[in-house]
Amino acid sequence: MARFFAQPTADLVSNHERPAAAPFVFEAAGLIKEYDEGRVHALRGVDFQIGDGEFVAIVGPSGSGKTTLLQMLGALDRPSAGTLSYRGESLPDLTDDAAYRAREIGFIFQAFHLLPTFTAIENVMMPMFENDLSGSARTARARELLKAIGLEQRVDHFPSKLSGGERQRVAIARSLANSPSVLLADEPTGNLDSKNAVLILDLLTDLHRQRQMTLILITHDMTVARRASRAIQMKDGRIIFDGDPSKLTADS
Amino acid sequence: MTFLNVVTRGLWRRPIRTGLTLLGIAVGIAAVVTLIGMSRGFITSWTAGMKSRGTDIVVHNMRGSLTPQPFPASTRDRIAHLPGVAGTCNILVNLMSVETAELMILSGREWGGFAWDNLKLVSGRMPNDQMEKAVVLGTTAAEILKKKVGDTVQIETEELAVVGIADGGAFVENGSIVLSLPLLQQITGNPDKISAIDVRCDSGMDQAGIRKLCDDMSRLIPEAHAEPAGEHLVHTEGYRMINAMSWGTSLLAVIVGVLGVTNTMLMSVFERQQEIAILLALGWRRSRIVRMILLESALLGLLGGIIGIGLGVIGIQLMKSAPAIRGLLEPDLSLNLILIAVTIAVSVGVLSGFYPAWRSSRLTPSLALHG
Repeated sequence: MARFFAQPTADLVSNHERPAAAPFVFEAAGLIKEYDEGRVHALRGVDFQIGDGEFVAIVGPSGSGKTTLLQMLGALDRPSAGTLSYRGESLPDLTDDAAYRAREIGFIFQAFHLLPTFTAIENVMMPMFENDLSGSARTARARELLKAIGLEQRVDHFPSKLSGGERQRVAIARSLANSPSVLLADEPTGNLDSKNAVLILDLLTDLHRQRQMTLILITHDMTVARRASRAIQMKDGRIIFDGDPSKLTADS
Repeated sequence: MTFLNVVTRGLWRRPIRTGLTLLGIAVGIAAVVTLIGMSRGFITSWTAGMKSRGTDIVVHNMRGSLTPQPFPASTRDRIAHLPGVAGTCNILVNLMSVETAELMILSGREWGGFAWDNLKLVSGRMPNDQMEKAVVLGTTAAEILKKKVGDTVQIETEELAVVGIADGGAFVENGSIVLSLPLLQQITGNPDKISAIDVRCDSGMDQAGIRKLCDDMSRLIPEAHAEPAGEHLVHTEGYRMINAMSWGTSLLAVIVGVLGVTNTMLMSVFERQQEIAILLALGWRRSRIVRMILLESALLGLLGGIIGIGLGVIGIQLMKSAPAIRGLLEPDLSLNLILIAVTIAVSVGVLSGFYPAWRSSRLTPSLALHG
């Protein structure tokens, strides 16, 4: 869906100094997460590796551990046991998890999570406060990102004046603000009608392909999962399938 | 969009709550400006009055009491000869209600003393002699009493002629009823008593010299104190009490302001828990979140302070025209007081923001993925 990228996107990508080359973007071994002093087991020993530029769908029913896993990958929470690394560096041992999230990760949420008192362009600028861009450079970059996703006419609209699809596109533009290498999307089409869901999936697929980003997407929708190049299916805190999404079945 | 824009946007999302909080701070700051302005005005007005009379040192015995205690007029004889003393003038000052005015300054001045010299007649004349039953009204006093030359004014049981209206060159001087010392001693039943000795030093004497002269005088007259003009008021019990009451009342008002801002910022943080978590998930550092809350809070204080200063100025104007105060003092609305008020207001804001900011810094970014 090249229409979302009327302009070439290569110039939107800045060159952060990424951590030293490692065979995998993420590598997890025996990952465990417990809550309530061990009474709740969200992850029960999860192992996987995700390579650079992969498009991975994580599927599973509610309570299977998908969101917990995403929290671990985004350094929003720390595992109870096991190891988890980003490009060879241990995530639980990060000294500056905010910098990790600001530079390496772009989050896309099911409920969009745009800040209601800020316009579309201001929402896109939010993650840029932690880098060295000047105010005018922030504005220019946010405008460019919104133009790239076809919302140049809506830059000054508040979220309440945008449709669900438009809101999620703004959220996607926001996730790209600091040119991350990984996009973590939590049910990005979950609050959209089927037409907008397709548009958003097309946009994410485009991004993944054109910018060679690692895209990890949580969904409970098998149709969505089949757009990925790899699916990880979870149940009761364990991975029960890891492979070709076309081989996914409801009870695999 | 700058970080300050983000901060201000946070304040205006609940305009009524923010407005009420601003009002709370504003009332506190208005109290500071009005009360402290009045108590400082007391000192500056009376000091200006003495300076216009050319008084460098005041001998008095007010320290240990709320009101001036009369002391013998002969006290002057023990200090007038000291080197450096250019002139002395015995004074008896009384505050009393006069006709329709609730409180007027009656200033009895030694006949022929230098304390008459600053009075520039606007109309009429000076009394012919010290026993003439006559007064000279300051311009403001004449306005308050609605008197002109030729009228009479009733002081206690005496009916005195208004023979002149004069500009004394200072607010307190203009608010005074000036008459001869013996006349006021007679009216108030204080024969041979005075409440102060105005001392004029040799011209060119510096502050150190004035202080030394004060020390010399105080040693000679243990029943009274000699202090540089103006300072003697600061050290009196009356002023200390007024000052303490002003600051005490202001402090209470400021505490109410602190509680108001703390409550508002806490509510704001609770309401925005998920938003804060989203900002953390987007890579904001906790220190930036803390700064955001503290800045919001400080901005509330600053805006409340500015409104409060405005209210304080209105309050001062109202108090100035109050019958009990009119003509007695000119409130001190100096830049220094305004800076103090702004500093207090911003401090109130920052202080009130600490706990909410700490709470916000404890939020976990994983909240962003819920709901």
